[in-house]
Amino acid sequence: MQAQMGKPQAQRGQKAGGGSGGLGRAIAYLGAQRKSAILAYVALALATLAQLAVPQLVQNMIDAVTSGSIARIIFKQVPEPMQAAAAQQAGTTIEQLRLDQTNAESLLINAALIIVAFAFMRGIFSFVQAYMAEKTSQGVAFDLRNQIFARVQRLSFSYYDQNQTGQLMIRATDDVEKVRTFIAQGLILTAQALLLLVGALVILFFTNWKLSLVVVPLLPVAMVMFMIFGKVSQPLFGVVQRKLSALNTILQENLAGIKVVKAFTREPYESQRFDLAATDLMAQQLRISKVFSFLFPVIFLVAQLGQAGILYFGGRQILGGTLDLGEYQKFSLYLVYVFFPLGQLGFIISLMAQAGASASRIFEILDAKSEITDKPDAQELPAIQGKVEFRNVTFRYFGSSDPVLRDVSFEAKPGQTIALLGATGSGKSTIINLLPRFYDVSEGAVLIDGHDLRDVKLDSLRSQIGIVLQETNLFSGSIRDNIAFGRPEATFEEVEAAAKAASAHDFIMTFPQGYDTSVGERGATLSGGQKQRIAIARALLLNPRLLILDDSTSSVDLMTEYRIQKALDQLMQGRTSVVIAQRISTVLNADQILVLEKGQVVARGNHEELMESSAIYAEIYNSQLVGDADIAALESSSVEEA
Amino acid sequence: MMGGLGGPRHLLEAEAQKPQRLGATLARFGFYFRKKWFGFAFAILLIVIGTWGQVVTPDLIGQSIDCYLLPNPSACWFDTINSEISNADRLSGLGSLVLLLCGLFIGTSILQGLAFYAMNWSGQHALRQMREDLFAQIHRLSLGFYSRNEAGNIMSRITSDTDTIQQMLGFALLNVLGGILLIGWVAIKMLQENVPYALLSLSVVPFMAIATFYFSSQARKAFRKTRQQMGSVNAGLQESIAGAREVQAFNREEESIAQFVRTNAANRDANVRAATFTSALNPVLEALGYVAIAIVVVVGGLSVLRDQPLFGSTAISLGLVFAFLQYVQRFNQPIQQIAVMWTNVQNAIAGGERIFNLLDEVPDVTDKPDAREMPAIVGKVELVDAKAEYKKGEPVLRGVSFTAEPGQTIAIVGPTGAGKTTIINLLPRFYDVTGGAVKIDGIDVRDVTAASLRRQIGIVLQDSFLFSDTVINNIRYGRLDASDEEVIAAAKLASAHDFIERLSDGYQTVLGERGGGLSQGQRQLIAIARAALANPRILILDEATSSVDTRTERLIQQAFDSLLQGRTSFVIAHRLSTIRNADLVLMLKDGAVIERGTHTELLAQRGAYYDLYMSQFRREEEVAA
Repeated sequence: MQAQMGKPQAQRGQKAGGGSGGLGRAIAYLGAQRKSAILAYVALALATLAQLAVPQLVQNMIDAVTSGSIARIIFKQVPEPMQAAAAQQAGTTIEQLRLDQTNAESLLINAALIIVAFAFMRGIFSFVQAYMAEKTSQGVAFDLRNQIFARVQRLSFSYYDQNQTGQLMIRATDDVEKVRTFIAQGLILTAQALLLLVGALVILFFTNWKLSLVVVPLLPVAMVMFMIFGKVSQPLFGVVQRKLSALNTILQENLAGIKVVKAFTREPYESQRFDLAATDLMAQQLRISKVFSFLFPVIFLVAQLGQAGILYFGGRQILGGTLDLGEYQKFSLYLVYVFFPLGQLGFIISLMAQAGASASRIFEILDAKSEITDKPDAQELPAIQGKVEFRNVTFRYFGSSDPVLRDVSFEAKPGQTIALLGATGSGKSTIINLLPRFYDVSEGAVLIDGHDLRDVKLDSLRSQIGIVLQETNLFSGSIRDNIAFGRPEATFEEVEAAAKAASAHDFIMTFPQGYDTSVGERGATLSGGQKQRIAIARALLLNPRLLILDDSTSSVDLMTEYRIQKALDQLMQGRTSVVIAQRISTVLNADQILVLEKGQVVARGNHEELMESSAIYAEIYNSQLVGDADIAALESSSVEEA
Repeated sequence: MMGGLGGPRHLLEAEAQKPQRLGATLARFGFYFRKKWFGFAFAILLIVIGTWGQVVTPDLIGQSIDCYLLPNPSACWFDTINSEISNADRLSGLGSLVLLLCGLFIGTSILQGLAFYAMNWSGQHALRQMREDLFAQIHRLSLGFYSRNEAGNIMSRITSDTDTIQQMLGFALLNVLGGILLIGWVAIKMLQENVPYALLSLSVVPFMAIATFYFSSQARKAFRKTRQQMGSVNAGLQESIAGAREVQAFNREEESIAQFVRTNAANRDANVRAATFTSALNPVLEALGYVAIAIVVVVGGLSVLRDQPLFGSTAISLGLVFAFLQYVQRFNQPIQQIAVMWTNVQNAIAGGERIFNLLDEVPDVTDKPDAREMPAIVGKVELVDAKAEYKKGEPVLRGVSFTAEPGQTIAIVGPTGAGKTTIINLLPRFYDVTGGAVKIDGIDVRDVTAASLRRQIGIVLQDSFLFSDTVINNIRYGRLDASDEEVIAAAKLASAHDFIERLSDGYQTVLGERGGGLSQGQRQLIAIARAALANPRILILDEATSSVDTRTERLIQQAFDSLLQGRTSFVIAHRLSTIRNADLVLMLKDGAVIERGTHTELLAQRGAYYDLYMSQFRREEEVAA
């Protein structure tokens, strides 16, 4: 199973080409969130510029204290006549010192007030930036999820034959969240880091361009390192997501099939399988840890070595007299703003690599081509009269060379019932899957009222076909919602009438909340037979001209089966019906019976004709069909359902 | 024990994000680290050393000024200098200082890298252990648990809760631990220098703590809503994926999309609301950090300018103001980091709590401490006044007794809800009786290990669950050590061989999810082959003949007939032929056996079975005759 999952993904992963393109596409979703995105980035720019002013503001406070304290020391400790000389030595005049001393306290307090006011302002900008970035990213995630959902709704059946629910779920949830985190934090941090870096470099350059030349060579080194790490780690993160999906698939299977696992006492075997997957996942996580336990320290090291370099070369300049200490100190304050963003970028790389891997997984779904789409010039299918024709239809499932249908042809006139008979795997289900164009034929054509299905709009086709599938899926919502699934605007009377016709009304009324009883994951548990009758009511409500039925009933008792049979008979009245026949009544009433074997029609005709002409049919009839009670003929029914 | 079924349904739904039993939970986390404790300890040691390096660095940089740039012998401890040191000596001294710094940087970088890896290493091992324990617990929990809790819910707990822990491991934990060390060190240093000045400078810390607690508790409340909304989004997605065929068949794409967009929008809005609090925390802390800087400079500066010591302590020098300024600045960063990580850490602890809750759930069905292996089963099965209830006060079996001799076939008939499935769930001990006993060969099933019992019982369930694996592996599931030949023989016995051969890759064909790609009938044939391969002494068939076409059904019937040979079998029967061949027919109604006997005997009784037969089977028999 893992091999099966792994293979197609690996191929797709390669096609996506590393996936940085995926991240670019994800970032393009910001366009739809223009307002909040622009606000976020403007606030970011303001907050960052404000941050660049911090050292200067702190310096102002320090200067106020320093000059005041120098003045105080000179006035206090130096004898009066020498004060002027001392002032001169300290680079100032005696008048200036007097001024400093009197103003020192108010200067200090003013500088402190400015820094507090400024902190307040910066706080507001930072808040706006963080909030708007979050809002933007939620908007992007919202759009992505909607698109995934819409895509998932429209993907053709063959896509579902090849992909597992657990896998698709991880992409729609976990992967979207990883992309969102990057857009909320990573992208903003990148902008902030770059802004800070450039701003600080400019300031450094104006402070002392010679000294800043020590820093400059480190930047390309750091950038190249980031790029290498990004390239190395992104595929690793892609693998993590894949291993996580594999682990979840085992988990999901074990939860769904817990009874089988227990019945066969396969707990040790399943645990072994799970442990293997968990160890695999761990190994991959550790592989990533290895990369990052190298990356993070190296980035900090680059920054620290830069700092050491500045210390040495700055010191040399000071000793050589080309730089004064104050200037040097200001320089080192701003140096922090060069190296801090570098460290930040290292962290961003991990976010980016993760998000890049996730983004390409998301776009794999969004780019998945549904094989079944409307032609550009597709016409609306006019109201169906009910003529159905299979013309030399051959069908193969994706990736399979053996056709499941070979050259099947038949014609149903409006109002006729076609019964399909044959062994499991003979192609009956395929025939009924072709009618609503769940799949396209490989060769030949399927026509309704003379229209090739591939030439009409899907909506107009499917809205006129009623389908009762073998396995009934109900959706969370009330019973009424489920019956009105195909026609949400139906009135309650119509819903009730459909339920009555499907023999569902009585059991629905046994629920305390009747039609408002909720079903689905959190709702009432319905038996297989009850679900099926709701499915029949659902199809009946559409009042379709063409009906497709897989009338096999699963896990129901005999009484229920009888009721379902009655409901189905009612349903088929006056409509063209294509039915997978399980019951003798269906066969006896059919206008045409197709006996299928290995994808081919081996006999056709009505019951009487086939009894005479077809040995296979006669055999099936004698050995099995008569073995089934024709329960429709039983009018008396006394056994009550629980 | 089934009385426990009515237990806390809300167990896994408990949304309490706030850790309830912090100490106990942390202790259990510690328990998971125990095997790889040296990795964890190593990481901690490295963090301590690394933090020391971080602490020493500014002092060393300061020495460059005190020793070489503005030589001040009294403040210089790095080197022995005098105030007349030459420029050349200064430069070479500076050079050796810078070299030492470089060595320190390289050393701490290596330590950081090692710490990061060591932390991840022991963390990932702990996480794997947690996952494996959870998985094992899933197997231990009895079916009663699964009827009370949704699989999706359990699933998301396991995946998302381990994920929050995963996020906390490594980087976050290292940062928090390193940050706490740094803060502690800075606070001690400040207090050593000047207590009142230190206390004034640190006066913003309580406000920082209050802000952190306030915003994170508000965020937690808001996040609780987002989790609910996220649940709806996931449910919507899950449904749309599982029901995609139906949605397309009924042309409901537009409506479902519109509905999903609404759920999705509610989720987005809840998240944006939560963002108000998370976005506010950092700016508030940062602003408070600037206030701290202002306090340090103003308080210290005024003290210097007025030459007044603070509250009678030692005088504050200009140098001390500078030093405090540096301390406060180094203080701010880890505080902000910890505050940001705080939510993560809390989430992880709460996630751990939910994981431990699941691990602590006591299975309804457990082996007794002195349970022995079930000896090779001969095949006598007895139910002695067996009672069962899924919910307290709602009995589904009200005292059922019967005996099946070895090799007999017991057919169970009756309307839906009569208790047929419950009876067959009792035999492999999926549930325990709430009264009476189930005995096999005279041994109470509660006295033997569940594994040794189940190994000897074969079951074909109504829903024929298959795994997304190859056909051959699905059949081999019945007996893992079976050879290919044995698997094929079982498939032949189950009449599955022919259709399997026709699949694209034969026995090696990989099935889709839950056996996707096969028809229900085919899935059932594989399930029968699986049971046949297990070659059990006792066989249970649950409504297994009802969902296939007539031709396949004949195949299945044949398969059953050969499977039933010589085994004690219990069949929830649908078909008259099964019932007629049965040695004993049990007619169930409302959890009690109302009639028993062979088909002929029951007909002669002219009771409920006779009515059932008259209404449903008679015609079948007439046609057959």
